[in-house]
Amino acid sequence: MLSFIVRKLLYSVPVYLGIILVVMVCLRVNDPVQAFLGKKATKETVATMKEQMGLNRSFAEQYVSFVARVVTLDFSDQSWEQKRPVGEILYSAIWPSLSIALPALALTTLLAVCVALFAAYYRGSLTDRVLMFAAVVGMSISLLVYVVLGQYFGAYWPKQNLGVEPFAISGYESGVTNWAYYCLLPVIITVLLALGYDTRFYRAVMVEECNRDYIVTAKAKGASKPKIMFVHMLKNAMIPIITNVMITLPFLVTGSIVIETFFRIPGMGQTLITALNSKDFPLIQTFTAVFAAIFIISNILTDVLYALVDPRVRLS
Amino acid sequence: MGLLAGAMALLGAAGLPAPAQAAEAAAKPKVLQMPMRTDGPKSLDPAAGSTQYDNIAVAQIFETLLTFNYAKPGELEPLLLEKMPEITDNPDGTRTITFLLKEGVRFHDSPAFKDGKGRVLTSDDVFYSIKRLADKKNQLKNWWLLEGVIKGLDEYKDAQNKAADAGGKFDYDAPVSGFVKKSDREFQIILNKPVHRFLYTLTQFQTSIVPREAVEHFGDRFMFNPVGTGPFVLEKWEPKQYLYLNRNPAYHEVKYPARDQWSAADRRLRLDRPAGQKVPFVDRMEFQMFVQDQPMWLEFDTGKLGYIEVPNEYFEQAFDKRTKQLLPKWAERGVRGHSDQLLDFIFSGFNMADPVLGAMTAEGRALRQAIHLAVDLDEINEAYYNGLNTVFDGMIPPNVEGHPEGGKGPVSFRGPDLDRAKKLLAQAGWPDGKNAKGEQLVIEYYTANNAVNVQQAEMMKRQIERLGVKFEVRPNDFSTLIQFVNEKKAPMFGFAWGSDYPDGENNLALFYGPNESPGSNHYNYKNPAYDKLYEQILKMAPSPERTKIYEQMRDMVINDTPYIGSMGRTRFYLMAPWIMNCRPTERMFTWYKYLDVDDSKR
Repeated sequence: MLSFIVRKLLYSVPVYLGIILVVMVCLRVNDPVQAFLGKKATKETVATMKEQMGLNRSFAEQYVSFVARVVTLDFSDQSWEQKRPVGEILYSAIWPSLSIALPALALTTLLAVCVALFAAYYRGSLTDRVLMFAAVVGMSISLLVYVVLGQYFGAYWPKQNLGVEPFAISGYESGVTNWAYYCLLPVIITVLLALGYDTRFYRAVMVEECNRDYIVTAKAKGASKPKIMFVHMLKNAMIPIITNVMITLPFLVTGSIVIETFFRIPGMGQTLITALNSKDFPLIQTFTAVFAAIFIISNILTDVLYALVDPRVRLS
Repeated sequence: MGLLAGAMALLGAAGLPAPAQAAEAAAKPKVLQMPMRTDGPKSLDPAAGSTQYDNIAVAQIFETLLTFNYAKPGELEPLLLEKMPEITDNPDGTRTITFLLKEGVRFHDSPAFKDGKGRVLTSDDVFYSIKRLADKKNQLKNWWLLEGVIKGLDEYKDAQNKAADAGGKFDYDAPVSGFVKKSDREFQIILNKPVHRFLYTLTQFQTSIVPREAVEHFGDRFMFNPVGTGPFVLEKWEPKQYLYLNRNPAYHEVKYPARDQWSAADRRLRLDRPAGQKVPFVDRMEFQMFVQDQPMWLEFDTGKLGYIEVPNEYFEQAFDKRTKQLLPKWAERGVRGHSDQLLDFIFSGFNMADPVLGAMTAEGRALRQAIHLAVDLDEINEAYYNGLNTVFDGMIPPNVEGHPEGGKGPVSFRGPDLDRAKKLLAQAGWPDGKNAKGEQLVIEYYTANNAVNVQQAEMMKRQIERLGVKFEVRPNDFSTLIQFVNEKKAPMFGFAWGSDYPDGENNLALFYGPNESPGSNHYNYKNPAYDKLYEQILKMAPSPERTKIYEQMRDMVINDTPYIGSMGRTRFYLMAPWIMNCRPTERMFTWYKYLDVDDSKR
């Protein structure tokens, strides 16, 4: 296992260096300093800033220096817009994003798997049809509609009509005690949106499993329905579930732009969109490099998990 | 037990004698919650700021030498000065302005000072703060405010930045010939020539006074650790999230505008209620940033915000579209409405460097006038701004000297007037949009690629193509649009200008020849007679004579038609029943200190 991980990591090194190269080239197609400073910037100002940021050096020098900083986890480059170290900005934005994305992912996966198991087991029945119809409806509605209605009926309406405030209309404060007030409504909305997609996907996987011989055998041997569903079927359907969850994992750190801007959650989604809008070059460059690393690591982790849940998969 | 305790608590509260209740209310800190549309300030360092939201935040913590009067927003008044500065025009063509600082103004307490106690403001702080704008380290973002204005400052900037580039340091102690210190409180600034707008420059937040010790102590982190003389002290700023400020206990004596300064209408609104009282009234201000309008709207509706700027899409939920009056449902709740005309100039410019569109000949003029006459600004206003914009002739926005009475100038090419437009087009040598050789007149129109701008351009296309002219819309991202305009490559373009100060000169400067692209004269309009008048008004103080010249210049430009326009936006506000002394305006942001809250009305 260890040698597999090491080998995978080594294979990933040239891929990662290539990604960084492409990212750095792309970010320099248009002069990033001129784009950041805008129309009023004089040539003199642009030149000064380039010098301060080391952008007047050769591309090779910039590349080597950036790779060295990423490898040593040195994210001390100053954001052009916020004048704070990029690492500090990303660190402060990641927790609000994760405090929504992680519970939402866990809850969605749990609910989607349960509903999918149920629907697959009773496939073709009225229950299955109703559940799948609800899933299609749920995934067809825009996130914006969920957000607008969620804020109105989840936070505003109870306050105006019942005098209670189960959730905040918007805002964020860290801390476990504040979590339900500020984060639960965004979590519920995220789950509602994602549930439809995941349920349909997992149901398709489960339906395939239902037709396998081992299910017929289990039934013939008189195994209970819950045991068939949660022990036999679920275990065998784990590979696609893990794939789906692991693909989602890197995107947890990007946060949701819509959810974060509407609920004023200072997460990665907002941070990234602001960085893009204000052409905050160091922040964009560092984030892209970190995101690529997370993506590669999660791919390796997926392979490892395959082997853990399915002994037939051999990592060697 | 719980019930009993609750009942006892209720009895206890009810049993409190009236003076005790009043004392309790008085002891409770007054907190004012305000929204900031967008993600808020980017920096709390005045030298680094540029946006309106930087301005709002900075203006609570720092102060400028001059500001605008809250009761009469077009009128200048001293803020850090004892009195208005004295102006002397010298025989050598320079102008000397003498300032006297207000006595005993102190900076906020900060670890940057020796004993942590804020020290008294001096003339040196003023010189230092202005010199910071010349320092390349501050990216020269706001240098345009001072360029060429103060005697010796341009030379100082070049010499010090050169020294810093050569590995030396930017020497803030080096003298500037235009800065003359008379005493710790009295100083003079000598201008290269009489520039009336300099006093307005001193109201701009970028020229706020900062203490050198704090800037040097905090270095790059000064933007997060601002130390000023303002009415509020920073408690916490979470960028893009919130900004919390506490009352400055050592704030110098600034009083609420006197009763006689308020108009009769303002007095009817009881805006003069605390006249003459020392400000600020609230103990704490909490700004919340809102990138999206829905949460801001709902938060206001639940009474959590003191006031809001009404977003366009919510206008009809708050005001009657026809009468622009507050809807009764709000008035019944004690919510008040207010509108404020912005100093806006929204236009579509012609590039006068374009050989066809920009010719300064009778034919060239006739062509531009014809196109102008084909455009229906009222239709655009109705379709895209709910009819809330003010349409006017000229470049000078409403409520500023030089704005035509009723918005209609003596010279006007406001459309739609297709018959006149077609006649002028024929005179220009392009009957039905084709010249004598049968070539089609094609106009390329550059605009920002957001949905509203593109839709507006499409409407203009329909309007203008009624003349037989081909109108091609070229949407671009804003930086590309700017680049095309700066490089004089865009034959026509859609832009807007927000005045930096309420003086028509600011807008007239947009047509001054030497300001051509990449300067603010994006039209590349060149008219020697106009330029001469512009140089004349720069030296003039506000007077009926100056206004007359403004009007003359305005009509000159309308006749030459280097743009199609104009429109100006009006902001509409809602104010919660519990916020007092509130009359929102965007002309300055020093008015927050005059606000008060009445918690009994929450």
